[in-house]
Amino acid sequence: MLNQENLLPRLYEILGPFTKEGRTLNPETQLVADLGLDSMQVMELLSTIEDDFDISVPLNIVPEMKTVNDLADQISKLVVSPS
Amino acid sequence: MSGGATPTQSGIPLRSGDFLTLTHALEYAAQGNTGCNFYTSRGKLSASISYSDLHRQSSALAKRLLSLDLQRGARMAIVADTSPDFLRFFFACQLAGFVPVPLPISIHLGGHDAYVKQLRRLLQTCGASAAMAPEEIVPFLEEASSGLDLTIQGGADVFASLPEVSHDLCPLGQSELAYIQFTSGSTRWPRGVEITQEAVLSNLSGIIQHGLQVQAGDRCVSWLPFYHDMGLVGFVLGPVASQLSVDYLSTRDFAMRPRQWLNLMTQSKATISFSPSFGFELCLRRLAERDRDQFDLSHWRIAGVGAETVRSEPLLQFAKALEPSGFNEKAFLACYGMAECSLAISFAPLNQGLMVDHVDGDYLSEHQEAISLDAEDWNVSPNIRESHYVNCGDPLPGCDVEIRNESGDILPERHAGVIFVKGPGIMTGYFGDPVTTQEVLSPDGWLNTGDIGYCIGRSLVIIGREKDIIIINGRNIWPQDLEYLAECLPGVRPGDTSAFSVSNSSGEESAVVVIQCRETDQRKREQLIEELKPIVYKELGIECFVELIPPRTLPRTSSGKLSRSRAREDFLKRGNWKESSELVMDASSSVSSASL
Repeated sequence: MLNQENLLPRLYEILGPFTKEGRTLNPETQLVADLGLDSMQVMELLSTIEDDFDISVPLNIVPEMKTVNDLADQISKLVVSPS
Repeated sequence: MSGGATPTQSGIPLRSGDFLTLTHALEYAAQGNTGCNFYTSRGKLSASISYSDLHRQSSALAKRLLSLDLQRGARMAIVADTSPDFLRFFFACQLAGFVPVPLPISIHLGGHDAYVKQLRRLLQTCGASAAMAPEEIVPFLEEASSGLDLTIQGGADVFASLPEVSHDLCPLGQSELAYIQFTSGSTRWPRGVEITQEAVLSNLSGIIQHGLQVQAGDRCVSWLPFYHDMGLVGFVLGPVASQLSVDYLSTRDFAMRPRQWLNLMTQSKATISFSPSFGFELCLRRLAERDRDQFDLSHWRIAGVGAETVRSEPLLQFAKALEPSGFNEKAFLACYGMAECSLAISFAPLNQGLMVDHVDGDYLSEHQEAISLDAEDWNVSPNIRESHYVNCGDPLPGCDVEIRNESGDILPERHAGVIFVKGPGIMTGYFGDPVTTQEVLSPDGWLNTGDIGYCIGRSLVIIGREKDIIIINGRNIWPQDLEYLAECLPGVRPGDTSAFSVSNSSGEESAVVVIQCRETDQRKREQLIEELKPIVYKELGIECFVELIPPRTLPRTSSGKLSRSRAREDFLKRGNWKESSELVMDASSSVSSASL
């Protein structure tokens, strides 16, 4: 069963390849400002998340996600109530 | 092909765009079996609509729209998701006598406010009376339109509950508008290009008969956005006007899983698909070595490339990598066009692949003349700097092209100047903007494309955008060249750079290269700058100022193209150049000249 607690570590793992060496991730890490993801990397990240959690990320939640925590929130909602 | 997709054969004689209006084109296509198919990001068919169904459903929707009592020619904004609803609403407008205006979906991380602001500006610019959005975008639309005078707005369900009127439909006629298309070229306010039925159909018949030479058995695949001229005119209206079936992947799904484009090509045995250069690059970048022979691209007879300057190297890499899957590099078809001309101006000849013109780069900069080089010349002579550009072929029949210098004189073959175009596909103007219209469109119908190029015989070679040219000590420097040099550095990718010029108070120009840089180590950042400067000096003979900025900060237009003039404005606002003694500038005059 997936919850916020065990979701974050998995998310950190997924974000690993998108993260600079030496940078540690926390829930408040900003995806664009801190990790410097460009628009194509964002798309790559979303496809990895979709595959990993077996969910479909709707278009309209993307503009609402700024931090790792936002991402985790949205994923946990999607996993509980698959669209 | 999985069950349910519309067949490739229409079962009716092929008519190549010879229709008076889009409604006539749809009515004819509706007599056959072909239509549009939509696929999920995992390659499953999610919806399919034949042209016959599309015609019936659009007619019913048109009767509902008429119950709103809008003026004939009223604008209906349609947030252009890749979906059957977009098609229904677009053609319902045609049938009811309203002008459809496709609006972009630009969704970025944390980009809520920016998107709402953009939508609002577009709704205001086209003076929309009605607006429709896919369900998940409705909240954005509602926020964007608050306080605006819209008769109706919402998702498809809101319109489905309108009553149908009983009287007959009176579709948009030949001389009425077909649609308003927002350009991506805008660096200021958005410009809505007005295209008449006559214009778009003359362009479509040129594309279908001459550019693509469509034949029975052709089938299209597209992931291009429906709010983009190539996506809308090329791959929504084009297939209707030539009765072809088309398989759609949404732009977002392509960006997430570019291989799906190739999977869909394989699965549907499609023969025609277009992309800007970057689409081919992205696809190749996300393709594992072991997957390169996993597709069947042998049916792909036209791999069109356009919408941004065509660069040959990445395309040839794509072709080479996918040769084991049957991709034929002769399928590449370079073309040139813009929303102001409906879509297309010129096409290279079919089945030739890319025609690359190698020229003396220094001579071109200094004398604006493209002297052709033999391969031997530039391979053996270290004194010649070779530049190469892709030939975009002959203008469509009925379309005249002139290359002019600054004084308006018509230039001979191989002399570079501004490209002017005249022909039946050209817009009537920018909606509600006579001043800007006058700037680019002369009373006798010549359109200033703003692009720089030269002719070889009748064929057209595009060098770049006029306003982007950097002139240093009387030499023309193409920003693409500077950007290319920067992109050759380790860690810098295509699209990470923008080059432009800034001038001091006495009008002297300096070249600037801005690079999106992921590197955080200060020493390595400095190294990057120190590495680039001598390369630029060596290659182009100019000094340049290099600035590193965070990833994802270079401004882009709605279709994802980098905007050099906005990059320049941002650069001046940041003011980092002040620290450089090489550049002493009057910021206010520079900003105003940038927004000219």
